[in-house]
Amino acid sequence: MKPRNLSAAIVAAALAWPAIQPALADDEELKIGVVAAESGSFVSAGNTIVAAAKLATQQINDAGGIKIGGKTYKIKLYIRDNRTDVNVTIAAARELVDDIGVKAIWGTETHDFSVSMAKITGAAKVLQFSGNSSLGAVLDDKSVAPGGWLHYTFQSEPQEWQRSGSTAKGVLALLTPLMAHPPKHSVVFVGNDATGQYLSSHYVKALEAEGQQVDLVKYPPDTTDFSPLLTRIKGMNPDIVHFWYNGDSTLTAFPQALKLDVAPAYFLFGVDPGIYQQRQLKSDKPVTLSCVPVCWGSSPYPVVQDYFKKYFDLGASKGPQSSVSLLYYDYFFMYAKALEEVGSIDKPDAVVDAILKMSYQGVVSPVPLTFNAHHQVTFATEVCLVKPGTSDQFNCTVEQPPPAPPPGDTGG
Amino acid sequence: MNETPHFPEPAPPVGRRRDIASERPVTPPAVQSEAKGRSGWVKLPSREETVVAIVAVVFLVGFPWCNPGYRFLSLAITTGFTSIALYGLGLQFGQAGIMSVGHAAFLGIGAYTAAIMAGRFGLGFWVALPFSALFSAVIAGLIGLPSLRVGGQHYIIITFCFCALLNIALTNGGSFTGAATGLDVGSIDPIFGINFDQLRNAYYLVVAVLLISLLVTYLITNSSYGRTLRAIRENEALARAVGINTGLHKIGALMVSGAFAGVAGVLQAYYLRHISPALYGPFPSLYLALMVMLGGARLLYGPLAGAIIVSFLPEILKLDPIDSRIAYGVGLLVVILLLPGGVSAGLLDIYRWLLSKRRR
Repeated sequence: MKPRNLSAAIVAAALAWPAIQPALADDEELKIGVVAAESGSFVSAGNTIVAAAKLATQQINDAGGIKIGGKTYKIKLYIRDNRTDVNVTIAAARELVDDIGVKAIWGTETHDFSVSMAKITGAAKVLQFSGNSSLGAVLDDKSVAPGGWLHYTFQSEPQEWQRSGSTAKGVLALLTPLMAHPPKHSVVFVGNDATGQYLSSHYVKALEAEGQQVDLVKYPPDTTDFSPLLTRIKGMNPDIVHFWYNGDSTLTAFPQALKLDVAPAYFLFGVDPGIYQQRQLKSDKPVTLSCVPVCWGSSPYPVVQDYFKKYFDLGASKGPQSSVSLLYYDYFFMYAKALEEVGSIDKPDAVVDAILKMSYQGVVSPVPLTFNAHHQVTFATEVCLVKPGTSDQFNCTVEQPPPAPPPGDTGG
Repeated sequence: MNETPHFPEPAPPVGRRRDIASERPVTPPAVQSEAKGRSGWVKLPSREETVVAIVAVVFLVGFPWCNPGYRFLSLAITTGFTSIALYGLGLQFGQAGIMSVGHAAFLGIGAYTAAIMAGRFGLGFWVALPFSALFSAVIAGLIGLPSLRVGGQHYIIITFCFCALLNIALTNGGSFTGAATGLDVGSIDPIFGINFDQLRNAYYLVVAVLLISLLVTYLITNSSYGRTLRAIRENEALARAVGINTGLHKIGALMVSGAFAGVAGVLQAYYLRHISPALYGPFPSLYLALMVMLGGARLLYGPLAGAIIVSFLPEILKLDPIDSRIAYGVGLLVVILLLPGGVSAGLLDIYRWLLSKRRR
């Protein structure tokens, strides 16, 4: 470019700048971070967080953004792949909190990572929404109090005794009429990792509260050949085998159980009817399924169906964990509503208080979402019965959680 | 030019008829080291080594001033405590010739000792640091006892089994180990008014311990003890025949290595502030072995180079974990075939080759 042309361009840009400036200033930016596994072994769970965050952000921004204190804020998402690595998770959280200055973080999919991340977000007064129900083990009066390290952390999955209670009730209610005699003996088959140990401890108590005699069998997390353990379970003569956490392993173990004819009835936790249909699984024995939190393959609720249509239209994959996205989606709207009530994005303590007082009707549950004093949410669980001999005929029901933990379960 | 390296040179790769090593004096490097070392308990660094050391210290200390951002500073801390563990593995493998693929277990012992001391007895970082190092050293010594009777791949399998067993014990340890959920750790207590919750201060703490590790490694490898370990590595039967108590020295090397890992584990626990068994299983152990082989176990800066490569390569090249593993696998094959002394030895060879060309 000749010097004269260059000068003209600079002058033109200088003159045009004031005209451009108000347009840019109209929309303020609300920085929100997402830390999730977009690669590595937890990718199927991590991708659901990212997809849900993108969908919620798009919908909020398309609707005009969030009105906070007389200004309009558009959400700017900062998505960081943690590569299923705790060191990268910490680095990503540090970057989002200290370099970028986000106001809230969604993620991660893993208990250990979420806990380590909470030490960073808590100190920086950045809100954190994590799905892990195992957070219940550390969310207590002291940790969530002002000044506590989890004061800004919210568990977006229900307390485990609630989910276990509603699931156990739903499974037994659906299976009992199809069995030769009322089931009395259950075997819970679970992956032996942090989440598996935590989840199964509550589910065993919930089944016992429903009158079941329960045996617990654990498998190493990377197991692919389940036949030795399944043969052992068959020798226990169970009425129902409950494939508890996790859904991916269950999809490997369940066909092996069918071949070995391990039990007269089964329950598959975390396997969506959509996946059951996709895999063309078929059993002559009654099978029940449940999803976290509601099923994308066969939900009776139009609002859920509408959500998943939009979710999959965005390009999200139809996987065993797709429904988990709902654990993160609703809370974007809840957080936005809290910011509107507080009237500022720079008062995190007030935002925490606003969320704790809020009752929000989301997609995830037919009843409004509320957080308890330990920053844990409550909602029901959907359980579906597969018609024996079919892969695509389901009867789904939603069981409300019990009012209190069963005997022997300390809650959390 | 002073041709004497401060560590013995790696053996020339099989199949290379002429390489840089062959252009050096014919005296075997190990003998050169021995000859130099006899002048005193520890060989003093050459001018070349001093310059490299100064550059390394300036780089490590100056890194936060280059405005790397919190993400890179965070990864640098991770690289730092990993390097400390690798210096232990480097001593054990590079000097004594005892490879381990269960080294993460000793990090785990250090980390869990610190977490249990904090949780059960209210003892903080500064007490846990020496105690965990000592405890890890003792356990490493006990686990090393089979190495007196078996070596090579047999001992490697023992280390792998120990790591897997420890993982099972931690996962099923109930409230004492926090089971699979793990244990939480608080902050590092301030000392001299320095708040280690600030990332830069945490970085300098890790760098300080790393520099001490480097110094200890240098002193050991350039001492008569280091020469003894190398003699055992090269020919254990011969070493025993000349009166060296090989068992005692091997256990000693393993205990030093365990102490390094214990220190690294404490730093890791207080950095992550939450630990779980998954961090100390066979897979992280294999990564440690990979790092030390990539970087080079026998040269002073080899473990550091290995940790930097494995920590930062995926970050800089934006590799996902699958691509990273493929890259590490290919890299390891290349190193085994072309650079048996690791990347650091390869770089040293290139430097010497360039220097010799310039002089000609």
